Amino acid sequence: MLEDKIYAALKNIVGPENISRDPAILETYAYQWCNEVDNTLKGREPSRFGQRPEAVVLPGSAEEVQAIVRLCNEHDIKFKALSTGQGAWAGVTVPRAIQIDLRRMNRILEINVQNRYAVIEPYVTNAQLQAELVKHGLIHNAQGGGPQTSPLASHTSFVGPSFTSSHTGFSGRNLLGAEWVLPTGDIVRVGSFNYSGEWFSGDGPAFSLRGVFRGGYGAYGGLGVFTQCAIRLFSLPIPKDWKWEIKGTVPDYEWNLPPYWKMFVLNFADWDTFTEAFYEVNDQDMSMMAMASSAEGLATMFTNTREAALEAIFAGLLVKTQRYFVVMVTAHTEREFDYRTKFLQAILKKYGGQDLIEEGVVTAQPMHYAEGLRNSLGNHAFRFTSCFQSTHGGLDTIAMSVKIGIVNQPIKQKYIEKHVIGDDRGEGIWITGYEGGHMAHLEVPTVYDPSSPESCRGYAYYQDECNKADISNALGIPFFIVGDAFHDSYGPNVMDYPRWLRKIKAAFDPKGVSDPGHYVSSKPREGST
Amino acid sequence: MTLADYQQMMDRCVRCSKCKFLDGILVKSKQYSTICPSIERYNLHAYSGGGRVIMANAIQRGRAKFSDEMLDALYRCTNCGACEVACKMYYDIEPNEVIHELRVAAVESGVGPMPKHKKYIDLVERTHNPYGESPMNREAWLPDGVRVDERSDTIYWVGCTAALRRQEIAQATARILNAAHEPFALLGSDEYCCGSPVYRVGDRSRAIEIMKENVERFKQHGVKRIITSCAGCYNMLKVEYPRFVDLDIEVVHISQLMESLLADGKLRLTREVPMKVTYHDPCHLGRMAEPYEKWEGQMVEVLALVYMADPPKPVRTGGHGVYDAPRNVLKQIPGVELVEMERIREYAYCCGAGGGVKAAYPDFAVWTAKNRMEEAESTGAQALVSCCPFCSTNFHDGIEERGSQMEYYDLTELVAKSIGGDE
Repeated sequence: MLEDKIYAALKNIVGPENISRDPAILETYAYQWCNEVDNTLKGREPSRFGQRPEAVVLPGSAEEVQAIVRLCNEHDIKFKALSTGQGAWAGVTVPRAIQIDLRRMNRILEINVQNRYAVIEPYVTNAQLQAELVKHGLIHNAQGGGPQTSPLASHTSFVGPSFTSSHTGFSGRNLLGAEWVLPTGDIVRVGSFNYSGEWFSGDGPAFSLRGVFRGGYGAYGGLGVFTQCAIRLFSLPIPKDWKWEIKGTVPDYEWNLPPYWKMFVLNFADWDTFTEAFYEVNDQDMSMMAMASSAEGLATMFTNTREAALEAIFAGLLVKTQRYFVVMVTAHTEREFDYRTKFLQAILKKYGGQDLIEEGVVTAQPMHYAEGLRNSLGNHAFRFTSCFQSTHGGLDTIAMSVKIGIVNQPIKQKYIEKHVIGDDRGEGIWITGYEGGHMAHLEVPTVYDPSSPESCRGYAYYQDECNKADISNALGIPFFIVGDAFHDSYGPNVMDYPRWLRKIKAAFDPKGVSDPGHYVSSKPREGST
Repeated sequence: MTLADYQQMMDRCVRCSKCKFLDGILVKSKQYSTICPSIERYNLHAYSGGGRVIMANAIQRGRAKFSDEMLDALYRCTNCGACEVACKMYYDIEPNEVIHELRVAAVESGVGPMPKHKKYIDLVERTHNPYGESPMNREAWLPDGVRVDERSDTIYWVGCTAALRRQEIAQATARILNAAHEPFALLGSDEYCCGSPVYRVGDRSRAIEIMKENVERFKQHGVKRIITSCAGCYNMLKVEYPRFVDLDIEVVHISQLMESLLADGKLRLTREVPMKVTYHDPCHLGRMAEPYEKWEGQMVEVLALVYMADPPKPVRTGGHGVYDAPRNVLKQIPGVELVEMERIREYAYCCGAGGGVKAAYPDFAVWTAKNRMEEAESTGAQALVSCCPFCSTNFHDGIEERGSQMEYYDLTELVAKSIGGDE
């Protein structure tokens, strides 16, 4: 229990309406998706309830965040900030910790159309930002977490691939600057913030603090608090007078598809032809969206209910698909559109593929284009059991992504046969190209039943086995390598990087108050190198 | 049902926060992207649909107990159901049902509802309306010249709010029915509260008693059809009553009846009502108005861990409420131009009055109404129109506090103007 004096001091910072230490209120912060996995792997019951914070505070400004962090340093209290807060990494992991809920900081501070960047606060959501950007013919990289999640969290602290990654890259690469409340309470403005007032560079003159505070995968909120950031924007091919319009009713909406937009599902006989074709499409920067999944993934992607997805599967989708990727072509002009379309047709001819939409195997409704753009399509996978999570998760080459998928299949199949995870024949993957060229992100979405302890445990053990397979097969670092134990198990294989992470943690967080549970603590674990 | 029956559902909450917003592809602007007045006003996650599901889970699992602060979070919710529409787009979770069940649990534990709710429940028991008015005043709204046919087996169910607070709606409704030569009877002082304000705050057992008494009265009066101008009463009679009592009586909202009377040529709108209006979907006539259909069957595992209902199970998505009837009527009023707000139909933003909020937290109710008024004003409309006396009261309060130049009309008032019945 937080001492009354400290609680009063916190209340004095944020105001009486913006703080609570009521146990029932705090439970809503202790509960997080994937805590059931963390709990299992730590030998506890597979519950979504995790560590309960001792209080929750809702600051309204960077200065209030700073005052809270300084108070935590003064009284040796740990803290963890969350924005929209979905996932175990959003919650506190240690006793005597408070939750900083950044919900009140929800402004879009600037949209700079000419220089293509936006400055946002933590609780601006992807859908909110994109809705405003579309009015200017722009978009940002809205991470796959969904339209209700925070682009600031993704850009400053997480991995951030998306359905539009082939056009918009991934979040970590698109960060142009950040206002960072260090674990000590000092405020640092990173990038070109202080240089010209315009956020054109993520690294700014001199050293790259972006590499320090987030690197490739982010610190998952374990290294202070980000109170605003500037992110790169990208063009959206729509006519000037076009407006986002939605008609119809739940769950079947109609979207006014802009001209020169078309979806393709390019299906190939095997991984080899798939890989070659995927390289070529990404190399030529041909699409707004280029991503692969399984037949089950395709079924849920282009339907609007679980029942419709299952009907698509039972109608023969499994035998009509081999190795496919979805391409969403968008173009500014008819000529550009024709060129891109002809290019894809040439790719199909070259590698002996078919367009499953052209063949009538699947239909992409206009709303699915919108969902691709808003990054809702991944959320469709929740429809099977109200739950999925992903294993692996490397940012690497297209060939490496395919290799992970191949290595994963028999591992996954084993757990399918144990009847603890959903049956996608071990083929459920999600590969998205990013930054053009040869880069791709792969993760392996896996359905399980959150209301079944047996299924939760089964998924957790499967995830653990995937992580180990990533080491033994040299498949790169998955994105859920978080916390001391995981870092220490990977470190020896990757130049002992946890040593350097710990130096960063110690330098920026000398009192160790920024909750290290999903990052790293400053001191090595006993027995680690 | 008890809270325990929702355990599996509660364990499935992903804490994704979709319950706070319109579905992603429906968002057209940041300003009108939110859907839950409660989380928007109070910010702590406990004030969202998902937050309340987690609190219910914590209570059920014995991890937390009812407290004053927790009850505040539970009852500062209009029970508008928007969280459920957003959630069900992806999940098998019904946050609004869980919220209601948690309120029932609070009442059964002796800690709920809130003092102001207890006060009006006492008034309902003593005076048969939550305002404490004498039952003899129930027909005070009835103007001279309105024809009531006491022999008719169709009743106009006025509802407490239209009868005692928003009499202009009752008067307009009666005139419209007369103009269309649609006979109706009134129950007068025999019309009791439908039970909505009691039910919404979780006093289910008392609400069921009220339902039983009302059904008995319908039988005594030989009622075959009920017409109501109140969205809340409509919701109770059409949606909630059949869950708990036998009610073999047709229930129709006045907007539906007017649509049908216009189609049949029995109602003619001749007078110009030159006005640009925007329409607010009342929660209880919109997303909450889908009936609960009884389903008997089994969940069949068709793929590992993936179940399908056999036979197919009806899902209340919120998409099939009474949305078109009021709009179709509005569009037929000569001179009326309808412009839409961004948040409409199943994603309409609540007026702020429901779920016991107006009684217990009037400041929050008006705060929400003012938000909605701002959206209504942004359309350039001169008037906000809706179909619910309770929305009407709250919007009138919101207009006054906001100093808005906008006018508010119930749909019946505009129709009455067009048939010349407002004089």
